[in-house]
Amino acid sequence: MQRIPIYQSKPGMVLAKEVRKEDDEISPPICGKGIVLTESLLSRLERMGIQALSVEGHPVKMEGDKPVEELLAALDKRFSKVMDDPLMIKLKDIYKENIIKSMEGQDARPAD
Amino acid sequence: MQDRRTEIIRIIKDTRSLPTLPGIITKLSSLAEDGKVSVDEMARVVTSDQVLSAKVLKLVNSPFYGFSGRISTVSKALILLGVNVVKSLAISSSIFEIMEKNTVGLWEHSLGAAVAANIIARKLNLPEREEISTAALLHDIGKVIFKIKLEQDYDHLLNVIKEKELPMIDCERELFNVDHAEIGEWLVKSWLLPEKLIEPIAYHHNVEKSNNQRAKTAVVHVADVLVKASGFGFSGDDFVSRIQPAAWEKLGLNELILKDIVSELENNLVEAKNFSMDIQSKSGQQA
Repeated sequence: MQRIPIYQSKPGMVLAKEVRKEDDEISPPICGKGIVLTESLLSRLERMGIQALSVEGHPVKMEGDKPVEELLAALDKRFSKVMDDPLMIKLKDIYKENIIKSMEGQDARPAD
Repeated sequence: MQDRRTEIIRIIKDTRSLPTLPGIITKLSSLAEDGKVSVDEMARVVTSDQVLSAKVLKLVNSPFYGFSGRISTVSKALILLGVNVVKSLAISSSIFEIMEKNTVGLWEHSLGAAVAANIIARKLNLPEREEISTAALLHDIGKVIFKIKLEQDYDHLLNVIKEKELPMIDCERELFNVDHAEIGEWLVKSWLLPEKLIEPIAYHHNVEKSNNQRAKTAVVHVADVLVKASGFGFSGDDFVSRIQPAAWEKLGLNELILKDIVSELENNLVEAKNFSMDIQSKSGQQA
């Protein structure tokens, strides 16, 4: 999942979280999770004053982003003291899968 | 060695005030000026700062208010004390220190642990979720007070950890014959906080020792492990410790639930990071 400013959102991206009005947890969401963004939906959200969206994967390259290899190497280091524990090996695999999934599309869609 | 321990206990027990993150104060004041702000919103801001949460809880549990040891959450405190008391408490907080990089890291670690604990408690349908998050937020309060009271020793400790690549708790015991869980325990006991919060703080590195609050202690322990596994914040060392069998069994965890928890945690931490940056940039503007 990546949180991006609405001006960097593009049709085809998939919402990873429902969209709500800023700081409003009580009202029903404006738009549900899993929805594929379109031109008309984006302009409607923009008109409603929405400033940022959470989308699936990592479609926009941001300053300070680290490549997947670097993230996985850091994960290895963090788990280095507990690799004799089968449960912790499983936990590391769960994290590894998550990192790979969360960074999907990182290289496919370079910054404009 | 014993002398060093006695000396540290003496210095730490002389705790009259704790500093708090200035950005919180700014955010809180602007909320309180709003007039329409709800207790829940206010509670959310207060609980994002462990020192301020602890102060509010300490005050509401002081004999002065007569709820001694019975108020364990910030929102209950806000209802009892009133928003204005909490606001002035925050503003008049004696120390406005510029937070150093390391303390911000510790703050992020605590915030992340509270987020993780809340997810775990919700997924497992445990009662008293807010108490559990509060305990997670405060679990490393012993480190905060250690750094404030014995800054040179704390810096030395961090250097030794870095050099030897050892877990923080082992280094603390080796160097000082005392650790942050024990320090945190004295602190919250001296503030008369409820047992529900004391055991998770005292035993988050040793779940087996928790008798009366084992489920809460287990959640805080697992939350601590997960937030370190996520690489979020900085608690003093970068090493993930193992999930203790006592915690795993008490909570009846399995791989599937764990997977679910991790995936939600990773998403929520993106937001916790935004919130943390928000607070820091606001305090920057103020300075």
